[in-house]
Amino acid sequence: MTETHRGCPVTHTDYTTTTPIFEHYALLNADRERDRFLFNDSTERGFVMLQRYDDVQAGFQQHQNWTTAVRSALRPGVGEPLLPQDLNGEEHVKLRKILNQFFAPAAVRRLEPLATQRCIELIEELKPKGSCDFVAEFAIRYPTDLFLALLGLPVSDGQMFLEWSEELFSAMLAGEPTRAALAKKNITDYFEKALEERRANPGDPATDMVTRLLEARIDDEPLTQDQILTILLTLMLAGLDTTRSALGYVYTHLATHQDHRRELVEDPDLIGKAVEEFLRLYPLVFQAGREVQEDQEFEGLELKKGDVVWLGIGQANRDPRKFEDPDEFIIDRPGANQHLAFGGGPHRCLGMHLARLELKVVLEQWHERIPDYRIAAGTELKERGGQLTLQSLPLEWEV
Amino acid sequence: MFIEIDATKCMGHGRCYAVAPDLLTDDDEGFVAERGQRWEVPADLLDQAQEAVDACPEGAIAVSSAAPVDA
Repeated sequence: MTETHRGCPVTHTDYTTTTPIFEHYALLNADRERDRFLFNDSTERGFVMLQRYDDVQAGFQQHQNWTTAVRSALRPGVGEPLLPQDLNGEEHVKLRKILNQFFAPAAVRRLEPLATQRCIELIEELKPKGSCDFVAEFAIRYPTDLFLALLGLPVSDGQMFLEWSEELFSAMLAGEPTRAALAKKNITDYFEKALEERRANPGDPATDMVTRLLEARIDDEPLTQDQILTILLTLMLAGLDTTRSALGYVYTHLATHQDHRRELVEDPDLIGKAVEEFLRLYPLVFQAGREVQEDQEFEGLELKKGDVVWLGIGQANRDPRKFEDPDEFIIDRPGANQHLAFGGGPHRCLGMHLARLELKVVLEQWHERIPDYRIAAGTELKERGGQLTLQSLPLEWEV
Repeated sequence: MFIEIDATKCMGHGRCYAVAPDLLTDDDEGFVAERGQRWEVPADLLDQAQEAVDACPEGAIAVSSAAPVDA
């Protein structure tokens, strides 16, 4: 007899372990096809899994009752404070309003020349070597440099900053709070210096984000220093690891699918569409968590106050009810951009347009300079669970 | 045919004006500038209107043949 929890079949799938690459997508597919809703007991609190595209999309729209008091179904109640994520309702809208303008398509377009120039510099540095660890030597350096540029800070600080942010990521994931606190202090000291400098020499708040954060008012009150530091740290945590991860999957795919790579090399106009299809096929944030605030019935599910809900982004993006041949990469797939890789509802990813720009620029510039490359022979690629990323991706090309 | 954008559902994904550039525009915050409005779609832009409907992850855009209620 099938084990159930309040009428839901129970699954034990552990989504937090390191596995061979792509294994998480297979686990996600298997759970989705087992039953429409499941209760997963692999964590202490457990969580109700929404897995089909329509359910996940509807779930993101339950934001009044399902809040980010839990942000990840896999790790409820732990982690750094994040802003604006931790806010809900009106408070959240007010802070997003201050930040939105710096991440809107118009603002992102202003960054494109710098994004392109920095991308070319990094590629030209690697090209003569004929090989690199794409993850460590490119995929994390590029978004780090652009993050600093977005804040109006010198890109030349990138290498130094990267050491701190990598230390913070690894300490957070290893669950080592003392080491994490130390790494975080280097970063916040650096941000504090930048804030001090900008207080003394304000920029134009319409285009300079740090100045805008210093001058912004919510209900006539300025943001506190702590709030501003949390916002900056959040942008860093949200933007660097994710871009690195996306690039890792995209380049693994292209290194092993010569036909798709040739298409992009020969017709760079396809890159915009390819980016959407990559986002659909390889979402690295494969779930978002929410906490139910009041008892509620949802599509026949009896949810109780305090329940943790899993919004299965990775399952929705490969749901055969929504996307035909969902595990295939189809460059001009109709409706590819309906994926939920960036989430939905009021918390949808602030940096989505920047992420798209970064992926597009890298694909354009890299393939113009290094059109052919392969994964080094004998490599076994592994992916981190929880939030997917490749630990390393050794690429080789002819010089 | 009329297009209508529900301002309470729009979350600023920006996919509608990307697929319907001749029909929709973006504002400074990245939201579709025409949210909260309902207007008649020129016949030659009906395809773009339908693409915008399909692209919205929030289901905020509708195309229908009914005339505006307050017309």
